Amino acid sequence: MTINSILNGRVATALVMLLIFLSMSLLALGFTEKARLMPLLIGIPGTVLGIIELFNEMRASVKAAASGDTSNDVSEAERAMFGWVIAFFLGILCFGFIYAGPLLVFSFMLAGKKESLKVGLISAAGTFIVVYGFFQNVMEIPLFEGLVIEWLLG
Amino acid sequence: MTIIGSPYHLFLLAIAVPIGMFFGAIPGLGGKLGIVLVIPFVFGMDAVAGALFLIAMHSVVHTGGSVPSILFGVPGTGPDAATIVDGLPMTRNGEAGRALGAAFGASGVGGVIGGLFLLALLPLLQPIVLAFSPAEFFLLALFGITLIAMLSGDSLVKGLMVGFFGLMIAFVKLDPQTGIERYTFGQLFLWDGVNIIAAVLGIFAIPEMIALGASGGSMAGDSKINASYGLKGVLRGIGDVFRHWGLTIRTSLIGAFIGMIPGLGGDAASWICYGHAAQSSKTPERFGKGAVEGVIAPETANNSKEGGSLLPTLFFAVPGSSGMAILLGAFVMLGIQPGPALALPENMDIVWILIWGLMLANVLAVLMFIVVAPGLGYLSYVRGNLLIPFVLLLTFLGAFLAIRSWENMVVLTALGVLGYFLKKYHWPRPPFVIGLILGPIAEDSFHKAMSLWGPAFLLRPGALVMIGLIVLTIGFYVYRLVSHKEKPEWLREDDD
Repeated sequence: MTINSILNGRVATALVMLLIFLSMSLLALGFTEKARLMPLLIGIPGTVLGIIELFNEMRASVKAAASGDTSNDVSEAERAMFGWVIAFFLGILCFGFIYAGPLLVFSFMLAGKKESLKVGLISAAGTFIVVYGFFQNVMEIPLFEGLVIEWLLG
Repeated sequence: MTIIGSPYHLFLLAIAVPIGMFFGAIPGLGGKLGIVLVIPFVFGMDAVAGALFLIAMHSVVHTGGSVPSILFGVPGTGPDAATIVDGLPMTRNGEAGRALGAAFGASGVGGVIGGLFLLALLPLLQPIVLAFSPAEFFLLALFGITLIAMLSGDSLVKGLMVGFFGLMIAFVKLDPQTGIERYTFGQLFLWDGVNIIAAVLGIFAIPEMIALGASGGSMAGDSKINASYGLKGVLRGIGDVFRHWGLTIRTSLIGAFIGMIPGLGGDAASWICYGHAAQSSKTPERFGKGAVEGVIAPETANNSKEGGSLLPTLFFAVPGSSGMAILLGAFVMLGIQPGPALALPENMDIVWILIWGLMLANVLAVLMFIVVAPGLGYLSYVRGNLLIPFVLLLTFLGAFLAIRSWENMVVLTALGVLGYFLKKYHWPRPPFVIGLILGPIAEDSFHKAMSLWGPAFLLRPGALVMIGLIVLTIGFYVYRLVSHKEKPEWLREDDD
């Protein structure tokens, strides 16, 4: 039994949750008495539960590894989707909704999911109409322009 | 009734209802923005017409909000998040039409019962509203938190951890007592706390899109064989509301009651009612997997709480929710002065008009939605490839618009990635929202109650009633564990 066979997504999720509780509880120790009361009241039991759950998950992973079950691993398709979520985040963050929105929709259709050029172009145009036409102009909601665009426009 | 039945007022209702549903259906817009945007248009109207227009619009926002919750797992408004838990699995099971029908039917019935609740309570309202002190607030929030156990499915440890995680995230803000920064790391946008819309979109919408993209297909999966997206499915859903009439009435009343208490809000109403539905069901294991009762309960509460929250808004000028706060301002602009004076006989006309307007708007919304629902249901069969980029964009847009801050998108992405792993490895996600919503209420009222009465606040009559309810809930859960096969994972001997 190797460490790698136990350290899968399932165990990592439990570990991340435990670390969140542990670090938030430790940070709470630096607050004033009143401010730390509730965070500690929740954080300490959360940490204890985190240890129990991590143990449960490790135990289950050992069993799964022994039976050759790989369902706890992260698949290639999932990695690709994480990539797209990050791409949407960074694209919008840098270039805003009006510019990045249609471009991201177009890229997702074509590069990500192999749709036809026609579908990609119609989707991008539709996105532009909704974001720029509807939100920005009809509703007069000022949308985020993107950090790079804001920097370029001064 | 004569005034509201005039063609002019009915015409206004017919315009206000679709506008309200539209604002509810688009994530990030919501009823508050809707009211703000239409205020300039109603400003020139007479007070009665303007107020009727606004209340009709506001009262059906959550009816529209249920559509993206059920079809895509993206809540149109915060309180609609609870509808995702069973609405989305119903869509995946090919029952989008039924889920939409149940949501619309429940919203309509909830709205009408909320209005009737308001009518019934008019003579008694003052002592009831004033009976709620910080002590009862704290225990009511604690009662809501105990429902986490009910929503934990077969893993109590995971459920508690996710609920506690929501509570911890709720503490990210300036400490309400001392004003010192807690977990904000110097970020100004966190001073008011983590935005609920961004958190809910992150925990629910992003994981659904990742899962859909990774698995391929459509939101309804391979369920075309049993699909019920036509009018038949919608009508079946509406029928479900009346088949579960006991639950419908109970959750409508609970929602209206919670709406009446300023500060608790619609999010709390829908989650508490969802928890109640799971708790009172004979087959709680169906919840989270597409139980129609899981759609009915939050949807009745969402709309009935508007009736309840009109009470303190109109008669004490204390808004029952943030939406009502904006509505209150709009009423004042229209020349209606909320406060105890509204209860005088000569001012009661406007109160009656608003109550009838609220109920009629809810009925009208159901009728309008029945027409369009089958078409909406088909959306769940659109290929994921075509949906994902739009829903992702809308999700980011919703997170940004919630507080007009790009930093909210950071929160959305971080929680979205974590939310996916929670989904994949079967960590129940609803407890997160309960913790996030009730955490600040519990903390704030706890400190207030302690300052006012010390630990003796637990001995107040109202507090004792609430403690009784909490003990009953926990006792019921323990009884169920012992007597039922629904043992949590950590209690099972042959754990996987």
